[in-house]
Amino acid sequence: MGYDPANPMADRITDIGPPHYEQFFPPVVKKNYGKWLYHEIIQPGVLMHKGESGDECYTVRVGAARLISIELIREICDVADAHCDGFVRWTTRNNVEFMVDSKAKVQPLLDDLKGRGNRFPVGGTGASVSNCVHTQGWIHCHTPATDASGVVKAVMDELFDYFVSHKLPAQVRVALACCLNMCGAVHASDIAILGVHRKPPMIDHDAISGLCELPLAISACPLGAVKPATAKNSKGEEIKSVKVNAERCMFCGNCYTMCPAMPLADPDGDGIAILVGGKVSNSRSMPMFSKLVIPFLPNTPPRWPETVAAVKNILETYAKDARKYERVGEWAARIGWEKFFEKTGIPFTIKSVDDYRLAYDTWRTTTQFKFTSHIK
Amino acid sequence: MALSKDELKAKILEKALTGPKAQLYVKDFYACDPEAGPRDVKNAANDLVKEGKMTFWSSGSTTMYAAQGRAKDEENR
Amino acid sequence: MPKHDTPLLDELEKGPWPSFVTDLKRQAEKKPECFDILGQLELSFRDKITHWKHGGIVGVFGYGGGIVGRYSDVPDRFPGVAHFHTVRLNQPSSKFYSAAKLRDICDLWEKYGSGMTNMHGSTGDLVLLGTTTPNLEPLFYDLTHNLNQDLGGSGSNLRTPECCLGRARCEWGCYDTQNLCHSLTMHYQDEIHRPAFPYKFKFKFSGCPNDCVAAIARSDFAVIGTWRDDIRIDQAAVKGYIKGEFIPNAGAHSGKDWGKFDIKAEVLDLCPTGCMWMEGDSLKIDNSECTRCMHCLNVMPRALRPGLKQGATICVGAKAPILDGAQFATMTVPFIEINPDTEFAEVIEVIEKIWDWWMEVGKNRERVGETIMRIGLPTFLKVMEITPVPQHVKEPRSNPYVFWQEDEVEGGFERDVVEFRKRNAQ
Repeated sequence: MGYDPANPMADRITDIGPPHYEQFFPPVVKKNYGKWLYHEIIQPGVLMHKGESGDECYTVRVGAARLISIELIREICDVADAHCDGFVRWTTRNNVEFMVDSKAKVQPLLDDLKGRGNRFPVGGTGASVSNCVHTQGWIHCHTPATDASGVVKAVMDELFDYFVSHKLPAQVRVALACCLNMCGAVHASDIAILGVHRKPPMIDHDAISGLCELPLAISACPLGAVKPATAKNSKGEEIKSVKVNAERCMFCGNCYTMCPAMPLADPDGDGIAILVGGKVSNSRSMPMFSKLVIPFLPNTPPRWPETVAAVKNILETYAKDARKYERVGEWAARIGWEKFFEKTGIPFTIKSVDDYRLAYDTWRTTTQFKFTSHIK
Repeated sequence: MALSKDELKAKILEKALTGPKAQLYVKDFYACDPEAGPRDVKNAANDLVKEGKMTFWSSGSTTMYAAQGRAKDEENR
Repeated sequence: MPKHDTPLLDELEKGPWPSFVTDLKRQAEKKPECFDILGQLELSFRDKITHWKHGGIVGVFGYGGGIVGRYSDVPDRFPGVAHFHTVRLNQPSSKFYSAAKLRDICDLWEKYGSGMTNMHGSTGDLVLLGTTTPNLEPLFYDLTHNLNQDLGGSGSNLRTPECCLGRARCEWGCYDTQNLCHSLTMHYQDEIHRPAFPYKFKFKFSGCPNDCVAAIARSDFAVIGTWRDDIRIDQAAVKGYIKGEFIPNAGAHSGKDWGKFDIKAEVLDLCPTGCMWMEGDSLKIDNSECTRCMHCLNVMPRALRPGLKQGATICVGAKAPILDGAQFATMTVPFIEINPDTEFAEVIEVIEKIWDWWMEVGKNRERVGETIMRIGLPTFLKVMEITPVPQHVKEPRSNPYVFWQEDEVEGGFERDVVEFRKRNAQ
């Protein structure tokens, strides 16, 4: 039995979907499904859910990198086997959650986790900086403008104290996407770290005929900046190719996605933009987009000090100034964005003034504003 | 009168084999039978992939179709 | 495969947050291709640029999704990662696992892949990172035969649906998110595994308006739990909060002294509609004014619970900025009961109306939110056979350029200009 390369379609199974979720529920979850009364975070990273039955489910939340090895997953399984009847779950923000059915089992679990070096930081609940969700970056993506895992590691090291505590005005969701495509959508995060390209694509006239369907490359451009053209390859032969109108390029990389002969990544051109004030939840205010406040910071591996400092500055200015429950975007909206720039000391540049589609939505059409230091 | 599934598949394959574009979106095949619904066209095209006559080409975010061997790719270079 | 010097990456072994570099090094002892991952990443750190190339035609036979092709652009230096394709596994709903299941997946990936994973990808898949083209079919065989597990979506497919943990461990799940997510995942296996659409299409299911899976920001089809009757109040527990017997906001603010809990400042005054007040020590809510924002429930989970007439609001068309700018999903179906007894036929009907329209009129690489934007919400509502209500807009339009239809105007559009000129000279 097993796969037979000579007969690859033999007893093929397709379209069976994922395994049914219920078999993976810890007993206390299965028993109290749909019958939970309330919850309480008894300490940072430790939740207690109370069921109508009186049962309690204690959850220990542990921050993890998104990029993890099977060795580490096996270690997580060891912990689950030792403490949690062999069950475990992941959150949407790359945290691991270990669940036990009594308070007495919490401390031994915490002790076990603590005994495993810095691999299992407990936190990410309540008014904390929760785990930073992110994309692939240089570890596996073909279009990134920055790394992901490395930047996130550097940022989370610096914000670690805020992950393991509850001292912020509200939860702060930090997220990173390594290019403007945002396969990890960061457009509704409290603080978004976004990889950006700043140089138009080059055109590899030697490769384009073999690699690309020209009409696809042309139609991929949202601004019509890619046009058909005849060009000469390095052998001097005239070939059908494309040209790029640099003035119209918005550096989105869509053409490169459809045509690998149009690379745009560049060590100096690429870097990071910071966007601030998005939220997803409907709590109090409606969901909000993150807004661009720092148009560019350079890529400075291995620890991206400029990006780390920028994120920390925004976070700590907010922490000092915001009211209880206020998310970053609610705070900025209340004090006004002119005050946001003044308080954070971030220079306001014309790059924060929208000139893309739907731009008018963000222009000020009232005489109401605050006289900050920006107005001389 | 809409074409039969086999007739539709033959038209799709012909377009993929001999048309000017090597890689096609599913919408490019809608014209093969203007009376067929988008779902019929999609199912016919996917059938041709199951039969090994066409392949998928994916950018990761978008998927296209190509006649076997016509897709431009690292593996075909 | 030799070990490479990684002085830059070694800097990321410092600090309190778990280090993926340390993890990779540990894995490399068993899977030496991880040395080449580290080596190529170190090169990227030095060059400040990626060294990966995309490949479009790899996949398992007959599937148009689930595998994303990846190749090194420096394969001679790092042969262990010359081919390094991604395999997306459809995660179980809300990401509960047994250790036994995870160990099986680890064993599979030790056999066929690099040993590195993403737990999880942005859309929710369990992502296996790095394998070769020849390994794909054997891996898929073992996956389906031995692990009873299938691939997720990619490309112009229905993407792997995702849900919050809902009723499994949360008191606010207004419908059974796991059941709906799993049922639709099974119902639409063909759409997940083979392209069907002009572009990607995402389902996300959140049990309440806190929206923990970011459905309203990230999914073309967002089902968000809600209720349409009265918030349940336990007045004794309200008093408990006021007296300080219970910690407000479930303890989320425990790390800083914010002073004594003040129900007026922290609940009543932060209610966006101002629909709550105190009569003596009883909390009153004018539920007809409530917009179910969740703030008061979040602050006093012991005292307040969602109403009992539960269901969901369906919002359509969220997406990241590419291309026209980011969009949140637009509220489309104000309230729908989520009914497992009909196998969710009501939800399926809404989905397929959207798809039938979008497959017909959507442009290539256009998300449904962009199609709605281009063609207009009024047309979309007509297609959906949904009666327009004030809830569909934040405010009425401010321009007067209504696209009147001929049959809506008395006498129609056809007129006789000769007759007109007899009365109104040029």
